[in-house]
Amino acid sequence: MTQKNIAAPLPRRRGRSRGEASEGRLAFWLLLPAAALLCGVLLFPMLTTVRDSFFFNKLTEPFNGQPFVGLKNYVQMFGDPRFGTALRNTLFFAVLTVGGSFLVGIPMALAAHTPSRVRGLARVALLLPWAMPPVMTGLIFAWLFNAQYGVFNDILVRLHVIQEPLLWLSTPGLAVLAMVVTIVWKTSSFVALIVLGGLQGIPRELTEAAEVDGATRVQSFFRIILPLLAPSLAVAFIFRSISAVQVFDIPYTFIQQAPAQGLLETLGVYIYRTSIEFLDFGYAATLSVALFAVSLAVTAIYIRFVRDGAST
Amino acid sequence: MSAEAATPARLSPLDRAGRALGLSALIVGGFFPLVWMVLTSLKTEAELQKFPVQYLPGALDAANYARVFSEQPFARFFFNSLTVSLLSTLLCIAVAVPAAYALARLQVWGRSVLLTAVVAFSMFPVVSLLVPLFRLFRGVDLLNSYPALILPYAALSLPVAILTLVAFFSAIPRDLEAAAMIDGTSRVGALWRVVLPLSAPGVVTAALLIFVNSWNEFLLALSFNTKLDMRTVSVGVTLYQGEFAFPWPLIAAAVVIATIPVVALIAIFQRRFVAGLTAGGVKA
Repeated sequence: MTQKNIAAPLPRRRGRSRGEASEGRLAFWLLLPAAALLCGVLLFPMLTTVRDSFFFNKLTEPFNGQPFVGLKNYVQMFGDPRFGTALRNTLFFAVLTVGGSFLVGIPMALAAHTPSRVRGLARVALLLPWAMPPVMTGLIFAWLFNAQYGVFNDILVRLHVIQEPLLWLSTPGLAVLAMVVTIVWKTSSFVALIVLGGLQGIPRELTEAAEVDGATRVQSFFRIILPLLAPSLAVAFIFRSISAVQVFDIPYTFIQQAPAQGLLETLGVYIYRTSIEFLDFGYAATLSVALFAVSLAVTAIYIRFVRDGAST
Repeated sequence: MSAEAATPARLSPLDRAGRALGLSALIVGGFFPLVWMVLTSLKTEAELQKFPVQYLPGALDAANYARVFSEQPFARFFFNSLTVSLLSTLLCIAVAVPAAYALARLQVWGRSVLLTAVVAFSMFPVVSLLVPLFRLFRGVDLLNSYPALILPYAALSLPVAILTLVAFFSAIPRDLEAAAMIDGTSRVGALWRVVLPLSAPGVVTAALLIFVNSWNEFLLALSFNTKLDMRTVSVGVTLYQGEFAFPWPLIAAAVVIATIPVVALIAIFQRRFVAGLTAGGVKA
């Protein structure tokens, strides 16, 4: 499935014919609008951010001007305990939520893949968390986890799992758990979708043959299906990881309601607050560069992983 | 889709039970939070403050829905979101189709470099673009306008739209285009008359992705369009909370209204969308 893009050999021409030149020109014009939009609205601002990270620029201290300060912001960042906490929270949440979304997403995909009369309904259930606006997911789950009126407490009390309602959002450990549950609910869909795509590419005969040969369902899942899903899992893993380290909306809505704030502050939230609440644009830019570096590192690890995976 | 065929008869009862359990868990888990919001939105404050929780609302009363529109200009928020999301979808598709066609079909210099660049663009953290885009838009007087959201939304969705479309275009046999071109169509004509109709599922998938992304976006909407009249629904739903009070039935009603468009799109296009995403996503 990886070789699909390699075209049938074209009739070879010597040198650059007039046809190729005009094709190149056409390609240029077709690519130009996309390049303009990406460069104008993403690349240029990103470069501005990198530039800003070397300057002092704090709107609350206009008397200090906006001098070039070299690496001072970076030095500040590495000595900033709040950055350390935010980075640790971010990576901690990323590991838990990416792992969690695979643990939930793969069974979801398997359930949605089974032929059944409610397949359409199952597909909507699968897509719904993915399509739901993240801010609203945050609001909904903050409500579900509400200490006094929350339905999760109610169910747990009725099932006698707990005696007293839990203060989910104001107890540090529980607040973290609540946020992980929320993010896993929201993001498992994405994993499930990609895995579902992988499952649909696996011919039924393979597992059927294995079962004829006496393999159990569990065996054929781990020995046949899972290895064939590896490329899909790798794709899901990278996109999940990038969005996990950049997570903003759900922590932002949770923090509005949770006194256990420090524990929920991710890098994305810290950058937002540094720029919008503290109006410290220089330092916010530095933190942004750090976040981008973390995203890049995640991708680099992935590319390595996929390449190694592909060569074996 | 032959997989739609009836469940094989040789399944053991245990297997059947397992499948039923998995499917029910999926359906309940997926729908429960939204269903709970609908139930909450129909309750009164008094019904809400009961513990153990009262699961069903007493009387079906749409008062909270009326308040959503009377306490904030929510109809305006809705219109703003719809306008911004539709226009960013149109813009993004208009730009992504030619680019994806060039990358999938033409002899482009540095094709793999360009594709890698497209992937790299999808890694930009939105929060890093906040300040520079804010200053850029303030400079050209675009804050509190539709383009202030349409341009970044189209750009942010562009990488995934291009990758999805490249996968779809690449899957269409070149012979079909070649035949059309021998019959006298130009390349652009072949794209318009042959490739595009055949990759309609891909275009629909990409359009849905862009629309949902744009409808759901919060951070830029929160920061760029601060005039009440220019707010979008994702920011609008957060405006009902007071300093200390959380009028949950009201917020629930707002959330329900705000999710209607995405839920409707998902329900209508679920089959095509899952097929499209899975066909495009894995190869990207």
